[in-house]
Amino acid sequence: MDFSYTAQEEQFRMELRSWLEANLPEGWVEGTFEMPEEQAAYGQFLRDWQKQLSDGRWAAIAWPEKYGGRNATLMEEIIYHQEMVRVKAPPLVNYVGLHMVGPTLIQSGTPEQQEKYIPKILSGEEVWCQGYSEPNAGSDLAAVQTTAVKDGDKWIINGQKIWTSFAHFGDRCFLVARTSKGEKKHHGLTCFLLNMNQPGVEVRPIIQMDGEHDFNEVYLTDAIAYDSEVIGHVDDGWRVTISLLMHERTGIGAQVFSLEQQFSELVGLAQTVTEDDVPLIQNGDVRKRMLDLYIKSRGSLLNYYRNLTKQLKVGHPGVEGSMDKLFVSEVTKELFSEAISLQGQQGLLWKDDAIYGKSYWQRNYLYSFGQTIGGGTSEIQKNTIGERILGLPKDVGR
Amino acid sequence: MDFSLSQEQEMFREYVRKYLTDMEQMKVARDYIDNKIEQVKTVLSELHELGCTQLNIPEQYDGMGLGKLDLVPIMEEMGRALVPGLHLETSAFAVPIIEQFGTTEQKVMYLPQIASGEASFTIAWLEPGRSYKQQGIQVKATLINETVVINGVKTQVPDVELAQYLVVPVLINDEVTVVIVDKSTSGITLRDQKGFDETRKLTEVTFDNVEIPVHQIIGPIGDGWGIIQEGLLSYNAALSSVAVGAMEHIVEMASEYAKIREQFGNPIGRFQAIKHRLADMKLDLETARSLSYYANWALETASEDRIEAICSARIFATQSFIRLSAQNIQIHGGIGFTEEIDCHLFVKRARFYENYLGSIEQYYEQAIESLNWEVSEKSIEKETILSTQ
Repeated sequence: MDFSYTAQEEQFRMELRSWLEANLPEGWVEGTFEMPEEQAAYGQFLRDWQKQLSDGRWAAIAWPEKYGGRNATLMEEIIYHQEMVRVKAPPLVNYVGLHMVGPTLIQSGTPEQQEKYIPKILSGEEVWCQGYSEPNAGSDLAAVQTTAVKDGDKWIINGQKIWTSFAHFGDRCFLVARTSKGEKKHHGLTCFLLNMNQPGVEVRPIIQMDGEHDFNEVYLTDAIAYDSEVIGHVDDGWRVTISLLMHERTGIGAQVFSLEQQFSELVGLAQTVTEDDVPLIQNGDVRKRMLDLYIKSRGSLLNYYRNLTKQLKVGHPGVEGSMDKLFVSEVTKELFSEAISLQGQQGLLWKDDAIYGKSYWQRNYLYSFGQTIGGGTSEIQKNTIGERILGLPKDVGR
Repeated sequence: MDFSLSQEQEMFREYVRKYLTDMEQMKVARDYIDNKIEQVKTVLSELHELGCTQLNIPEQYDGMGLGKLDLVPIMEEMGRALVPGLHLETSAFAVPIIEQFGTTEQKVMYLPQIASGEASFTIAWLEPGRSYKQQGIQVKATLINETVVINGVKTQVPDVELAQYLVVPVLINDEVTVVIVDKSTSGITLRDQKGFDETRKLTEVTFDNVEIPVHQIIGPIGDGWGIIQEGLLSYNAALSSVAVGAMEHIVEMASEYAKIREQFGNPIGRFQAIKHRLADMKLDLETARSLSYYANWALETASEDRIEAICSARIFATQSFIRLSAQNIQIHGGIGFTEEIDCHLFVKRARFYENYLGSIEQYYEQAIESLNWEVSEKSIEKETILSTQ
């Protein structure tokens, strides 16, 4: 066992760290973390941040140097996540473009497609969203009903997508549509690089239970994609879809590191919240519940490191990622639930009236309900663990 | 970054597993229940032949001179087959305290005996109606010239039948002191007790003017509590591994059963009620494993966070062992409730460990104290090897 980092890895960390110190948005180094409230300004803020990262060649470090990356090793990607979590860097507005579409284009795109899209993905000039989920195709990814019908050199697309993150800032969509009806539902799908800025595309916001707007519904009414905007082969979209989902090598790493940080913040909360002048951390029950969370968040991190070790040895991510995803999202949910309990009645105050951290805890508590749903529900992860790790027979209906 | 056991460690595991598989895994535990002591002793001496008893003993005392992490695969395999006996008490408690606190004479006396498989140690700590806390130790010993005279009763002492020596915490001048007592010393009477984990036999040990030479005291008089605490760190790190091994067996037997047992025309493992329960069990198992690997690494490297790491591993491993052993019965249904199938043996062993050598509450308190939350945010700032700072 060896938890040390090589000299080269430490050097990478220091290089990134000093770049961040010099380039983080105003207020970040001081720890104030102000982001614009208003949507358009918020979008611009995020685009500016990504541009900054891309100018420093820190936007897509795993990509080959030829495309603007750093050819980063898996460990360098891990360090990258650790450092970004440490400074609480703003989110990447073009997450889908950088982590999914870009690598897929590099792998399966034509030279023309690569030249046209990749530089703009990197700079944030074109923000991408991902058109997979449909109202009746959430966990059942292949149950796609959006259709694309060939018309000369064009495709006419009709249907509806849902849970499309950042579509309201989106310029392009990695869209899966049905191009023919086969015997099996994952046959006859095709992936398109759809232009969002056209009359046939309508984006409607979905407001989440935390009052935020990350997701959208996307209505496609005779939207148009050209032959040059098909990626891979027609009717071979399932393979492309799956490969796109596989491109994220470091998986839920960032969430695991965030959880560790959030636990430390929770300790801070329990030291701050008082009941009749006594800090809650002195309460035996509270301490016991905190230790349970400590053990679980530690366990989550250590599980991740163990899976990472395996990945370093075999060279590709394993199915164990399902365990990491399941555990980290469930523990995160527990942690924020505890944070509300700790504050007692005060935990019900919201936004400006919230007593601790400008309702950081309340917002994250509400947001955490999405974490055991998005990216594959906990139930789907359990099916995967049961079937692919324990070798149990497939669930009924599949 | 390499968070895994080494190839050599995994190879060692394979030897031990192969041997125990050839011995039909659980048969040795069942032999012990049936009082077939000779068969059990044969297996234990063959495990010694494989190197299990001398592994962490220094080479100058006839051992292999390996480290705490090297015990991990052995302990997992022992747990997997619920091997009866005192490997934990001997290798993970007695050896470390003799090595760390014993005199040269004591090392020469005991360590080669352990290495050769001749001697095992049990721990005679608990007293009737008392706890594993410091104030729970009330048995008194008097120092007369070069002799220690012990009077009192210790209870629920495990597997005395297989032990040559007892590690006994006593009070000398009202201070906790650890002594090693040969089981055959006169004045000791043994009374068998019934316990529901029959793979561990329990005995009440009465000391009636038991006289031992003063050189059988480990460490200075009055330092016993600190010595025990050090021993417990090794013990609990190893115990976590035993629990992991047992849980691995449980997950395997439950999954295999869920693949073959059919109801409503389908293997029950197809139903999510069962599948999800098994996925939860697997997650508990792997989390316990990660925590126990790290605990043993922290012990071996004397890492700053070793106390919270070891307590966390012990708490999670013993609690999830109880949980999984119970789930296993539910998945097996009616047959799981019978004595014929092994399920119940795991439930009973899990319960044996739950409060053995310290209660769950004590370990919670110890971990919390070590994390030092009340004072400041030390836990956040403290540089541990795993921190992302």
